[in-house]
Amino acid sequence: MKPINVTALALAASASSSAFATQYLTVEQAQQVMFPDATGFRDVSLQLTGEQMKQVEKLAGLPARSVAWRVFAAYKGDAQLGYVVLDDVIGKFELISYAVAVNPDASIKQIEILTYRESHGFEIKSPAWRKQFVGKTAAAGLSIGDGIASISGATLSCTHVTDGVRRIAAIAQVALKK
Amino acid sequence: MRRRAQPWLGTLVEITLADTPSEAAAALAFDAAFGAIAEVHRLMSYHDAASDVSKINQMAVGSAMQIHARTATVMRAALAMNAATDGLFDIACASRLVEWGYLPDAGLEHGRHHQLNHHERDRSALHIDEDGNIQKLAPTLIDLGGIAKGYAVDAAIDALQASGVAAACVNAGGDLRVYGETAFPIMIRDPRAPTQIGFRFDLKDAALATSGSYFSQKTVQGQLRSALVHGVDGSAVVNNISVTVQAPACMTADALTKLVLLSADPRHPLLQQFGATAFII
Repeated sequence: MKPINVTALALAASASSSAFATQYLTVEQAQQVMFPDATGFRDVSLQLTGEQMKQVEKLAGLPARSVAWRVFAAYKGDAQLGYVVLDDVIGKFELISYAVAVNPDASIKQIEILTYRESHGFEIKSPAWRKQFVGKTAAAGLSIGDGIASISGATLSCTHVTDGVRRIAAIAQVALKK
Repeated sequence: MRRRAQPWLGTLVEITLADTPSEAAAALAFDAAFGAIAEVHRLMSYHDAASDVSKINQMAVGSAMQIHARTATVMRAALAMNAATDGLFDIACASRLVEWGYLPDAGLEHGRHHQLNHHERDRSALHIDEDGNIQKLAPTLIDLGGIAKGYAVDAAIDALQASGVAAACVNAGGDLRVYGETAFPIMIRDPRAPTQIGFRFDLKDAALATSGSYFSQKTVQGQLRSALVHGVDGSAVVNNISVTVQAPACMTADALTKLVLLSADPRHPLLQQFGATAFII
């Protein structure tokens, strides 16, 4: 008898408990889409100091939320083209991973959604539920479920993404600006 | 199939290309389509002080100004829809949305719209001529939230067609349109359980929009409110149904959802006039 793949079962179960889920771009694809001229990307992830956190909060008018931020610098040869900052935000029942392209002068160049997931409501507050999706990519074998269909319904506000972008704009101003 | 999504118009806008042109051609098509949506966002955002909508809200009564051709198209459609629906569809409901905290009072702080009462609104407060000059004849505060997303979808579809994409879907937070020979699977949220599928079907060469108050309902000073305002009596739509309208263009579908929701009539005679059909779930 063929052994049952427990990992695959667990993944299938978690995918079906998520009502709607779509993978748009992997981190690597987002880097290419936002900086098509780049020849390389370097991990320059940030650890904000207490003073920087305060400045970010003042500029954004929002809590800085995290000390650590995943950032890649985009290069064409030796010339730096800008940065890609990664973030995840949680709404009422949706978890959105997105990437923000930042110019060297700290202005926002582009925003791309990487993944979109919904829960039926209760799991969204659970760190375990969120952890299985945060930072994952299609290459990591995540099922996208009903991701090929388009959803119609009352407009779901994306205020938390807009706030997240405002926070990243402040972080860029404080910690990335050349 | 290629799919991208960006935040615009206060929601997530998703573009799906059914055929797979080269990487470079797809990138150009996405840029053109998201570019069109970004332009509509900049022109028609209530929140952006530099948008045409903000300028209209802040212009003095008796003054006139030139607006962008895109804004003029949406304004004309909105005013025509207001007349056709006897005021049920109304872009001048923004004062209510400000009152209930759905919109900031950006246009009010200049004093010109101070204490603008919903029932004192003048239906012919704005007039647009053929050249896109808009004239303000009475105090009014507008928000294009009930029609601009639909228009943005149409604008993105135009951009994709001009880019040579054979089949695509553009979805701005539930206001969507598909074109080409490909049928696209569509899921409508269950208004009583929004994270679940209420209805599922395939759509080809048509636009679809859904309206419901389930995401925006909240209690304001003891009263249940939503972001959907009844154009005639100024009340909030608070129920657990959703209205879906299919029409040839998304701007029409978007605006007509408000007519069906407020009239509670999925067979409203006006639908046929716009080549539209509707259902309530």
